[in-house]
Amino acid sequence: MISRRAFLKAGSLTMFGIGVGGLPQFVARAASFHKQTRLYKKNKILVCIFQRGAMDGLMAVTPFTDPYLKTARPNLFMNADSQGALVDLDGKFGLHPSFKNFIPLFQSKQLAIVHGMGSPNTTRSHFDAQDYMESGTPFNKGTNSGWLNRAVGLMGHDGSPFRAVSLTSSLPRSLYGDNPSIAISNLADFGLQLRGAKTGNLMAQTFEELYDQTSDDLLKETGKESFEAMKLLQKSDIKNYKPANNANYPASPLGRALKQIAQLIKMEVGLEVAFAESGGWDTHFNQGTDKGIFGRNAEDLCHSITAFWNDLGSWQDDVTLMTMTEFGRTVKQNGTGGTDHGRASCMFILGHDVNGGKVHGTVQPLAVENLADGRDLQVTTDFRSIFSEVADKHLLVNDDRVLFPDWSGEKIGVMI
Amino acid sequence: MSMRLIVTLFFLVGSSFAPIRSAKSKFPYQQAGLTERQAAAHLISRFTFGATPNQVDEVVSMGLEKWFDRQLNGEEDDAEVINRLKGYNALALSNAQVVVQFPRGPLLQKMALADGYLTKDSLAQLDKPSIKEKLKEYRKQKGLREEKELYTQFIGQKIIRATYGRNQLHEVLTDFWFNHFNVSLTKGQCAQFIPAYERDVIRPHVTGHFYDLLIATAQSPAMLMYLDNAASMGEAENIDMTSSTPVRTRITRRGRIIQRMPLPNRPTQPKKKTAQGLNENYAREIMELHTLGVEGGYTQQDVTEAARILTGWTVYPMKDGNFEGLRKKLDETGENRLANNGFVHEGDFLFAANRHDSKEKNVLSRKFVAGGEYKEGVELLKMLAAHPSTAKFISKKIAVRFVSDNPPQSLIDKMADTFIKQHGDIKKVLLAMVNAPEFWHTEVLRSKTKSPFEYAISTVRALNAEVTEPTSLNQWITRMGQQLYSYAAPTGFPDRGQYWINTGALLTRMNFGLAVTSQRLKGVKIDLNGLNHQHEPESAEAALPVYAQLILPERDLESTLKRLMPLVTNRDVINKVEIAARQKNSGGYSDTLSHAEPRGQKTMAKKRWQDAPSQFNNSPMLAQVVGIIIGSPEFQRR
Repeated sequence: MISRRAFLKAGSLTMFGIGVGGLPQFVARAASFHKQTRLYKKNKILVCIFQRGAMDGLMAVTPFTDPYLKTARPNLFMNADSQGALVDLDGKFGLHPSFKNFIPLFQSKQLAIVHGMGSPNTTRSHFDAQDYMESGTPFNKGTNSGWLNRAVGLMGHDGSPFRAVSLTSSLPRSLYGDNPSIAISNLADFGLQLRGAKTGNLMAQTFEELYDQTSDDLLKETGKESFEAMKLLQKSDIKNYKPANNANYPASPLGRALKQIAQLIKMEVGLEVAFAESGGWDTHFNQGTDKGIFGRNAEDLCHSITAFWNDLGSWQDDVTLMTMTEFGRTVKQNGTGGTDHGRASCMFILGHDVNGGKVHGTVQPLAVENLADGRDLQVTTDFRSIFSEVADKHLLVNDDRVLFPDWSGEKIGVMI
Repeated sequence: MSMRLIVTLFFLVGSSFAPIRSAKSKFPYQQAGLTERQAAAHLISRFTFGATPNQVDEVVSMGLEKWFDRQLNGEEDDAEVINRLKGYNALALSNAQVVVQFPRGPLLQKMALADGYLTKDSLAQLDKPSIKEKLKEYRKQKGLREEKELYTQFIGQKIIRATYGRNQLHEVLTDFWFNHFNVSLTKGQCAQFIPAYERDVIRPHVTGHFYDLLIATAQSPAMLMYLDNAASMGEAENIDMTSSTPVRTRITRRGRIIQRMPLPNRPTQPKKKTAQGLNENYAREIMELHTLGVEGGYTQQDVTEAARILTGWTVYPMKDGNFEGLRKKLDETGENRLANNGFVHEGDFLFAANRHDSKEKNVLSRKFVAGGEYKEGVELLKMLAAHPSTAKFISKKIAVRFVSDNPPQSLIDKMADTFIKQHGDIKKVLLAMVNAPEFWHTEVLRSKTKSPFEYAISTVRALNAEVTEPTSLNQWITRMGQQLYSYAAPTGFPDRGQYWINTGALLTRMNFGLAVTSQRLKGVKIDLNGLNHQHEPESAEAALPVYAQLILPERDLESTLKRLMPLVTNRDVINKVEIAARQKNSGGYSDTLSHAEPRGQKTMAKKRWQDAPSQFNNSPMLAQVVGIIIGSPEFQRR
């Protein structure tokens, strides 16, 4: 895909060429390939995927040598030996077979896993736990803003209306706040969404304000500079986008979302934080082993991420991708072939400045006496520790008093 | 005649002739500075799906208190709705009838196999589309119906009832309580039970006692399947073997006991061991979302123990191809024998004693002694329904729906107090609310943002539309962001304005207004001249205030008129809105809908879509003016 500036340049040169009786082809070609002046400064980008419903971390990344786990999950346990389906990562943890496309990324140390990650608040309510994780204040319900919105604020780059974009139908809690953020389920919709976004945050606006802007825009064409990016998007051939490197995105909501995030990244419109969601992780019932509900969700997650990563090509340097989920699930399988709400889970972090090829964090033997409330994997790494380190090292945002106001903990070295 | 006697007689006469009224005095709107007409408009905005023309006059002439009482008691004649729903032949079916008449995919395949229409071999050879095609043929041949037709009728009835129902408060409350005890068409296992869920579980109890709703939902197939309790059972060592021993006897049709054998899924069957034990999904949500609220003071331990209490609460197997063996056994065993062994069978609900954890439990510091069986579940629900946290949580939720997104704490306290004193009597709680001055405060007037459903319905009500075909309305409601009966999470749709406010949705709403008035919705007819008694204003400038007054009664319209005037006088605005909205929607909706498309929207539509051109000749000018009023910010509020 070419950016609009490049397109215009190439276009005008061609016209000029026709006008004066021919311009050497190579000049035109050079103009179109020339690294064009960007609309916005090229920034580091953080892509977050929220796995709603609480992913079973013990099935995703299984401590397969743990004797207690096998007993607790007679029908869910898989092994990493020659008969087992798991992929042995380090002799202790085995990766669910649906994640097998992660292996090259793990081996090349671009992908890190953090296990035992979770919230210090012990709530097992999806809705509360998601709220706490997204606000970044696990003991304070009153926080109005989301941690990613605060991160965008700390980065302090003005100008682009695309700094924080969520590829979801409504704005996630993570992006609530004073800094402009946009929720959109389809890039093709951007044009009009922006009309409302250009002066500020959608969440803060009343219908009256939105209406006045929208009707204003409808009645008279505004030629403001901030529309440059929007026009660029409208001109871009969004529907016929061809991912690079034969990247093959799943035809799922997550696949579509990541594909569009890749498009935004390549258009260089000033994106700093992108957000997407993955659903179906609340596996109370028949979650399956290598195949089944969990396996399908995991495959979608893995294939979407690996397609995205391939597609990015040289843009990988600017991007870190991080998954998160509100809590984990019970160590024991429940009575219906699934697992109930638990405590700690695991997460994936992908990028060139990630301390990859490792399973970070602590997973103690799953004997009952080591479990939270005698049933769940203990949270040994506060999610804020990871979020903070990623923001610090990748986005160069290190003011934890703003990002995670009531947290002061250790960082565990998931980033280089 | 002594004075006392006269007084006594008066009271006797009074009490025997006047129907019992709960509202004793005038609503306290005057204290808030409202006129009677403003108060009537507020009342209508809160307890109906939108004012119809002249409704303010009607409520004022009846008396606000009387109107509310009649609404609470559901006293109005709903013959019109019944008449309009005549063709909806799936609405009266029981769950058991639905599962066989609208068979889901797996059952249909099973039936086709049993009938020899498909064979195991052909299944292996054919690709998926061909199998689908085969099954479609088979369904036709057998006179069976497509599942999506059921949902089309079901969604259609919601729109028709909300539009034309005269007992509006009952319609609003049905919507409210359904959303509180949300189940979702997106979960296939419970979808077929949802029409009966609304009809038999929610609707009859909307002004009853909270406990009635709680137990009815707890025992409904829709909820039991949606939150997995149907499959939850006690750990083997906690199941009282004696309670179910006689059930193990197999009985011949003539009633002779021929041999002792266990029921399927019994703990004594080792090979079934995988499907044994607790699922705490429902037990958690009943506390978090249905009763106490997430801050209601329960612990993880309480959730687990409540789940144990509710083991065995399941669905009586239907002829839907699931648990076929169990159903046969249960049928053969006979009701008396089941009852003697602690089983409870009421309608579609089954308490399966042989799946129940019979050991002692503790929930919220209350001990449930061993052997409590079915009754302890009932006791648990009673305890939860009567809990002070529930009183607060439910009162707040009602106040959020009917007063404002942030209702005053003093109001919630009054309602919660009534909830406790009146044992969860919903009518009394609602009365406490409307009799509180906070209900009438000027800052809560028009403070709620209409959901897409409320917006669409209030539009057709305000315009006195003739809705012969609800499908197109449903499509617009979906497009505006609310797919009916399809909110996947058990929280239900969020009830706060922020959730619905964004630019994309606003444009779609504006476009909806213009689409309705320019008769672009199939099966929705509007007579704009008729609204104004056949007086057509001369210009857009003249029409705007006249129609704004009709559509937005008893509101201060100054700023609205100012805001809208440039739009109604711009000749190009209809095109601009449409083009803008179309751009916005290009490609977008197919994406967002593909995973959970409301099933069967088109089936009923086909019949009538031909007659789209309107019988009323509304002038384009008037269509634009009224369309813009409908799309205005003021009309998004209630």
